Amino acid sequence: METSMKTNRRLGEGLTYTVLILGSVVMIFPFVWMVLTCFKTQAESMAIPPQILPSHWDLENFVTALQSLPFVNLYINTALLIVLRVICAVVFSSMAGYAFAKLNFPCKNLLFSIVLVQMMLPSQIFITPQYLMLARMGQTNTIFALVFPGIVSAFGTFFLRQTYLGIPNEIAEAAYLDGCTKWQTFTKVMFPLTGSSCAALAIFTAVFAYSDLMWPLICNTDLNMMTLSAGLSTLNGQYTTNFPVLMAGSLLAMVPMVVLYLIFQKQFIQGIAMTGGK
Amino acid sequence: MQKTSKLSRDGAVWGLLMVAPTIIGLLVLNIWPFIETIYMSFSKSLPFGEFEFEGLDNYIEMFQNPEFWKATGNTILFCILTVPVGIFLALLVAVLLNSKIRGRTTFRAIFFLPMVVAPAAVAMVWKWIFNTQYGILNTAFGQNVGWLTDPHLVLLTCAVVQIWSNIGYDAVLLLAGLQNVSQTLYEAADLDGASKVRQFFSITLPMVSPTLFVVLIMRLMSSLKVFDLVYMMVDDANPALNDAQTLMSLFYRESFIAGDKGYASAIVVWTVLLIGIVTVIQFVGQKKWVNYEV
Amino acid sequence: MNKLHRFAAGALAALLAASLAGCAADDGTVDLTFQIWDVAQRDGMQAMCDAYTAQHPDVHIEVQVINWDEYWTKLEAATMSNKMPDIFWMHTNEILKYADNGKLADCSDIVETEHFSDISLSNASGSDGVLYGVPKDKDTVGLVYNKEMFDAAGVAYPDETWTWDDLVEASEKIHDATGNYGYMAYADDQLGYWNFVYQAGGSILTPDKTRGNFLDPGTRKGMEFYIGLQQNDWCPDQNYFAETSPGTAFFSEKGAMFLEGNWNILAELQNYPDMVGKWDVAVLPACPDPVSGEGRATISNGLSYATGANNPHLDIVKDVLKFFGSEEGQRIQGESGAAIPAYEGLEDTWVGVFDEYPIDVQCFIDMFDYCIQSVNNAARPEWKTDVSDTLLKIYTGELDLDTGLAQMQEAVDTASAEYYEEDA
Repeated sequence: METSMKTNRRLGEGLTYTVLILGSVVMIFPFVWMVLTCFKTQAESMAIPPQILPSHWDLENFVTALQSLPFVNLYINTALLIVLRVICAVVFSSMAGYAFAKLNFPCKNLLFSIVLVQMMLPSQIFITPQYLMLARMGQTNTIFALVFPGIVSAFGTFFLRQTYLGIPNEIAEAAYLDGCTKWQTFTKVMFPLTGSSCAALAIFTAVFAYSDLMWPLICNTDLNMMTLSAGLSTLNGQYTTNFPVLMAGSLLAMVPMVVLYLIFQKQFIQGIAMTGGK
Repeated sequence: MQKTSKLSRDGAVWGLLMVAPTIIGLLVLNIWPFIETIYMSFSKSLPFGEFEFEGLDNYIEMFQNPEFWKATGNTILFCILTVPVGIFLALLVAVLLNSKIRGRTTFRAIFFLPMVVAPAAVAMVWKWIFNTQYGILNTAFGQNVGWLTDPHLVLLTCAVVQIWSNIGYDAVLLLAGLQNVSQTLYEAADLDGASKVRQFFSITLPMVSPTLFVVLIMRLMSSLKVFDLVYMMVDDANPALNDAQTLMSLFYRESFIAGDKGYASAIVVWTVLLIGIVTVIQFVGQKKWVNYEV
Repeated sequence: MNKLHRFAAGALAALLAASLAGCAADDGTVDLTFQIWDVAQRDGMQAMCDAYTAQHPDVHIEVQVINWDEYWTKLEAATMSNKMPDIFWMHTNEILKYADNGKLADCSDIVETEHFSDISLSNASGSDGVLYGVPKDKDTVGLVYNKEMFDAAGVAYPDETWTWDDLVEASEKIHDATGNYGYMAYADDQLGYWNFVYQAGGSILTPDKTRGNFLDPGTRKGMEFYIGLQQNDWCPDQNYFAETSPGTAFFSEKGAMFLEGNWNILAELQNYPDMVGKWDVAVLPACPDPVSGEGRATISNGLSYATGANNPHLDIVKDVLKFFGSEEGQRIQGESGAAIPAYEGLEDTWVGVFDEYPIDVQCFIDMFDYCIQSVNNAARPEWKTDVSDTLLKIYTGELDLDTGLAQMQEAVDTASAEYYEEDA
């Protein structure tokens, strides 16, 4: 009896590893291919049958990519974009999420449905109207322009509302009766309880801001005011057929996010996991 | 109904003030453009943002256009290809990662990697892998399959990339749901002699269903809105273009290339309607299978 | 908490500062923006601006490059909000939309018309025949070929005596001898079938440009020949081209010939250093038995510099545009290698740029003698995608040639009918 259970468990474990390792190979393969391509020459990348390893491991393609784009500016702009959008999203969504979850006010359901409807709308329809608003304000080609469409977050509001719903009413009531003002109840008592959710929202916002492509290209024309994703697409226009250079550029654009990811892996995973938690 | 407490009763003004930035922002940035889109869908567009009201013409033209029905079909097919398989695989990965194995963090990291890469780079690499002539996939298996050019395969290929991009993210969400399931339930089931498979269906699945619902809604919405991926994977010169055209690709083409904003707006209104219907069905249907009593 | 507060306050301050930075102080100098879509021409455009600002220190011009894909979305939005760049490139695809809706400034008074060809002037004009831009450049399409493959197959290089028959014969021989593709014919208009249609004596639009002309026997002849090329073993099919452009195939030495515009040549020499010396370029082959005409044609397009009708600094901008269109401005453009100046007699400035390369680009200039203006009418944005979709359907065999041509005709006529009255 005991031995058969042990073999069963062994078998199960073996199966688990097999599936996970196979899955990992599929997940990681495109990255390996990307890295290998970065070191190849144009001809090697086009060889039939495909040549797996490059013949020289030199950094020429990275140099070309670095020379073609103002990477320092792109990194700075991307960082600014991420930081500012994250602050806006966390601050405004916390306020709205708290109010929707814990306060009663007129038209609450109607106002909340606005949040839900926004999530259903395809982002492409906003580009021209938002550009027109921006242009009327005379704010094209600024960092503000990059941040603009992300000043408020419907997803963040929805998500933080769920979080506040999960916090017992008694905590806020007690603070309020103890003499905290309404604002203090929120800032001093409730808001600090949502730290990990706010971290999750921050990470989310960062990932989406990082991968946003169309908006930075439309709102800013100056290459020095663009983000990494947008700059990369400019590289694409310049080296349409030179895959190794394109791959090198992509890798350079990816590096900061991967490093960030590796450092904050734990918070990252926990943060994401929060969104599904009830 | 939650009972009204003192704090929430006194909060009327505060509540409005606190939602004001978000609501005003959403109204200005998103809802107003959508209302304009609805108006535009009943209008004839002239160049440079001018419109002339003309009634239902755009909708009549749209419903009579086979290209539009093809795009609707493609969009729904894309949903069917990505959502169930994607969620099943994500659940599988989540369940496996939830068992006590070594290297859990590493596996999680690997499955999550695609999220931090610019989508443009993802599309570029996959296009390269799928290339009929030079792609590593065909070479490795000695095949000559037109992954991106065969009309029957092109949408499937895009679906694979979509699933690949999202699997880790969904898996991590589900993993969180799984980790909330109390171990005592499994111990009790073990004592009763229930098999692992049985335990999965009678304990794991019901317990993780609220999370599963969130993932499902999110994936349905994003699959019905899919554009970027298909736009980047399928070229204009691709003979299979028609078989990969989704509603939002059709919108992009009519709006930004042909410049017919009125007709393009009708497509958007239809797409949002479709998402709305699917979402409502899900919210009604959840009562049958989602277990909220944790 | 406090840290977060301070951080938020700092960020808001930064936001504010960033917004203020947008409003430049007015100290007498004029800042102009100049928008273009081709990265490769940035330096050439900059050199031209520098030459102007050296003479006019109170003017500052900033060259901004934006990708072709986003360029038009952005220009349209900018036009709607009355925030057009001060100077921008205009393409024949789009000029009619902007010019016919009164968005572009009339440039008739600053263009030295005697120095530009009729095609160049026409490429910068609206439907009313008024000049809404200053001609910038002109281009032609040539036959790029791989010398090594021709040598290997023992075939003589293409020259001005070549006809379609020679193109086919050389392709066959090269394919047999080397296993590589011959002439790579793909679904493209300007770098593909348009050239062949006009060589055969046909045309895409009727002479007054108000209707399609796909049912013309010459048009049919050109289309039939061009589309039929993919039936040969030596030409890849459209599925291949969906993933690999002819340029990619050519520069990875998979094919011997393809059609290329002169504007790409310099970039290709620079991007593929290993290939330099292995390839050259020739005039397009002629149709041996055209339905009408001489059998020779190449598509010639041309860009122009334009400015908005409501530009606040119109006098200054027009002075800049006048310089861009002058002999001096056009010479700087040509010498940068960016493009062939539209200004007649300055073609050699562009040819001279290639002295350091083992390639003879004179053929691009020679072809101006029989070039055809790039196809365009006001409805083109609407029929363009329909026509290219139909072409793909002919390639896949979903439609036969005649049905396909009839559909193209229908697409062009329906779209054009909205713009041109029946009797116009």
